[in-house]
Amino acid sequence: MKANRFRLRGGLLPLLIATVLLALFPIIGVPQNWILYLFLFFIYLALANMWNWLAGYCGLISLCQPAFIGIGGYTLALMTWVGLPMWQGLIAGAIVAALFAVIISIPVFRLSGIYFAVGTLIVPELLRLFFLNWRPVGGLLYGKGAGYAVKGATTIPAMETYWLALVICIGSVLMMRYILRSNLGLGLAAIRDNTSSAASSGINVFKLKLYSFIGSAAVTGLVGAAFYIQQGFIEPTSAFNVRWTMVLMLATVIGGIRLEEGPAVGALIVVFLHFLLARYSGVSLLIQGVILVFIMLIAPQGIAGSVRRAWARRTFRPRGGKPESGGKADNGPACKPTFTT
Amino acid sequence: MDLLLDIANPIVMGILLGGLYSLIALGLSLVFGVMKLINVAHGDLVLLSTYLAFTMMTAFGIDPLLSLVICAPVMFVIGFYIQRYLLNRAFRISMETPLIIAFGISIILQNFYQIVWTPLSRGLTPSYGLLSFSIGELNIPLVYALDFAVCLIVMLGLREFMRRTYVGQAITAASQDRGAAQLMGINTNRVYAFAFAIAMVLAAIAGVFLGLTFPFTPQSGVSFLIIAFGVVVLGGLGSFVGTFIGGLVLGLAQTLGGYFFGTGAQMFVAYLIVFIVLGVRPQGIFGR
Repeated sequence: MKANRFRLRGGLLPLLIATVLLALFPIIGVPQNWILYLFLFFIYLALANMWNWLAGYCGLISLCQPAFIGIGGYTLALMTWVGLPMWQGLIAGAIVAALFAVIISIPVFRLSGIYFAVGTLIVPELLRLFFLNWRPVGGLLYGKGAGYAVKGATTIPAMETYWLALVICIGSVLMMRYILRSNLGLGLAAIRDNTSSAASSGINVFKLKLYSFIGSAAVTGLVGAAFYIQQGFIEPTSAFNVRWTMVLMLATVIGGIRLEEGPAVGALIVVFLHFLLARYSGVSLLIQGVILVFIMLIAPQGIAGSVRRAWARRTFRPRGGKPESGGKADNGPACKPTFTT
Repeated sequence: MDLLLDIANPIVMGILLGGLYSLIALGLSLVFGVMKLINVAHGDLVLLSTYLAFTMMTAFGIDPLLSLVICAPVMFVIGFYIQRYLLNRAFRISMETPLIIAFGISIILQNFYQIVWTPLSRGLTPSYGLLSFSIGELNIPLVYALDFAVCLIVMLGLREFMRRTYVGQAITAASQDRGAAQLMGINTNRVYAFAFAIAMVLAAIAGVFLGLTFPFTPQSGVSFLIIAFGVVVLGGLGSFVGTFIGGLVLGLAQTLGGYFFGTGAQMFVAYLIVFIVLGVRPQGIFGR
């Protein structure tokens, strides 16, 4: 996978500064509350990035992300029960999620567009029922099936899970950056813009989409495992919950689907909403649902998209022609200066 | 002989249950057939009518079957406005927008139920809810038989409606070729709104009978959606006869799965069959 080195460089400095600042947060004694919300932000951002990769760039509206999260988490929990160290559980979580993606891609990749979306919607439900009845290790805690504690999770300080999440999150950001500027990203952009013309110019549409699906599953599994280290307990109904899909869809759509910075903006807003609505936990998701619907209708290109568009208008001041929509310009300059300024 | 009698029970129950499943799936199938939209909020909209019937039963003592007189028009209006003000706009934006909006509606409804009706498991339990009658050795609950009968009536009624009335014909026309329908002077946006509204009336009927048959919680919507989607997938998207047969297959898969692998596995077996069919024949067993 070749990448354009030159285009990888821009904007790295702010990212580096932000990373260092965020990494220092637990040391300089920021309130515990903040650490928790920032942890959530990292998790959501990484998940949203992966969903953006699939939905935004590949056109695969995957509703089975909770399946990967749950599988990552369960792999980790089961590994700790067998007695393996935590870091192996994390890696195994990613690998098992990727393998699972390979398996379900056999039926699911025969579907396209909207059929793909609903085909994948079944998967978390299937897994939820499966894990409710399946208990490979450990005795019956209570009832049948139910959850597992992640053994040894309580001994890990909050600081370390925070850093772990930060590393994964920055990793996912850099990964998206690299992908979008590599052959894979260019191929995906071509597929998104016109599938048949991309296929006729020698792009293997199926292969690119499959690789993206598996890669996204692996990272999502890793994030799920990291999240359940912090939670310390996993059970099927919350692990394979459609709520996950809601959160990462919301983050991506609010921020701007098909935009590199979209998930970051969106995840920030989602976490802020969590913070604002923490006291009204029942209404919280309802309000988020309303926001999702309205953003979709009013500004389908999201906040980052709207900003880009406004910026492009101000910078180039087009005369006569319509400015190019921000939603389409994924990684290039905000707007192609095809008109005279 | 003993085995035969033993297995006859799950088979009959599966077929009757299949009637209910195809009833749930009819609305989804109609919306798909006309607008090419998979309405992810269908399960939760079905549940809305169940909860309405539940409220009328507990608050005013109205029989669930009678409450359909109120439920169906209410759902009709709700469906009409959802399509008119949300989905019709969304269709203009892009292909995936309506799907995401439907997903948003589903989350909104789910949490709304949780706030208003609490997360407890409920059921519609009129006096006749537990009655059953027997044919030979078989013991059949009255509600299951009712599900099947109503499914047949509704399907025939829908078929006649689509064939004989102006609205029905306009819906068929708009689903076959939107552009041509518009040239013939059909206001397709309005027709879409009617189609969605009719789908919601079907959802209302399905919701009430579902409440009579199964207990429900605010989270049940997703499983109903998956059942409905499974039925539609098995039968081929957009075909009514296929929907009916798909319902029977899913019902049988569930009861026979429960019979052979234990009750814990029954829905798992049903979903697994949907998933396998999806992989082998994405256009459905009876799809073209």
